[in-house]
Amino acid sequence: MAKPNINLPGTSLSEEDFKAGNVLFRHDQLHGEYAWDTGIAIGAYLAALKEGKILGAYCPECRKTIVPPRIVCEWCFQPITEYVPLADTGTVNTFSICYVTWDVKRIKEPQIPAVIEIDGASPLHGILHLLGEVDPQKVHIGMRVRAVWKPPEQREGAITDILYFKPIEEG
Amino acid sequence: MSLLEPNPKAPQAWFGSLPVTSRYTYGLAGERFFRSLKDNGTFLGSVCPRCERVYVPAVAFCERCLGSLEEWVDVGTIGEVHTFTVLHVNADGTPKESPEIIAFVKIRDGGIVHKLGEVSTEEVYIGMPVEAVLKPAPQREGSILDILYFKPLTSEKR
Repeated sequence: MAKPNINLPGTSLSEEDFKAGNVLFRHDQLHGEYAWDTGIAIGAYLAALKEGKILGAYCPECRKTIVPPRIVCEWCFQPITEYVPLADTGTVNTFSICYVTWDVKRIKEPQIPAVIEIDGASPLHGILHLLGEVDPQKVHIGMRVRAVWKPPEQREGAITDILYFKPIEEG
Repeated sequence: MSLLEPNPKAPQAWFGSLPVTSRYTYGLAGERFFRSLKDNGTFLGSVCPRCERVYVPAVAFCERCLGSLEEWVDVGTIGEVHTFTVLHVNADGTPKESPEIIAFVKIRDGGIVHKLGEVSTEEVYIGMPVEAVLKPAPQREGSILDILYFKPLTSEKR
């Protein structure tokens, strides 16, 4: 890191000072545990994932099918009336090729997060997930993909019940 | 008809934990206090000559006159129970096997919150003279846990 060109009062410490024991310190870890209520619609979405289905919802006012489902339409604020089971296939809307994990660790094999427009949902409606079994160089917007699921006995009602989406082979 | 019925098979909540870690340094005065505890097994206090106070643990500034404190004294490891509480449950809510006594041990014009040991809940009283029981020197690491607990002062040390 660049050194500031002014002398600030105080004691600056480097990582070496901690390693060498030049300064006493205390490590602590907060118990930042939380429980996030899934609610009616996301609860139904997670329950459907456990059964190997992607669930959407239909707003008759906007004639939109959205995914994941909501109980209130985000556009017209009307109550949403029905769930719609969707296909587990879709189209890559956008993607990123990451050589760094969320906690800033370098990785050799890139992770490819992508927004996937799910078949059966209205255009431009999709979910964020990972792509797998694919050459990073060949990923493109508009690529057709299919969900790869965990075996049914390992599913727990989580978005990770889908392991990743992989390209649909032509023909 | 809107979607109002929760799916009975739905997971009720999503559980997670936030990975928050911290590293705390004790500051100039705290560093010197814990060094002294680690290396010499003694408590350091800092003296404010204007206010005629001795702060324990040592601090860099007088909280009364805000003056910078330069004078350091070894205040020993003896104090008295200023107040105490008896714990029957752990921090996570599970019951303790035996009750634990936590006390504010007054030393000069300051003091230390710590455990009491070698004393029963019936024997302890406010004003009880106590002395610190420290870890053996090689095991001390410059932490408040270098003090194992405070125990009742034996009469010959008074």
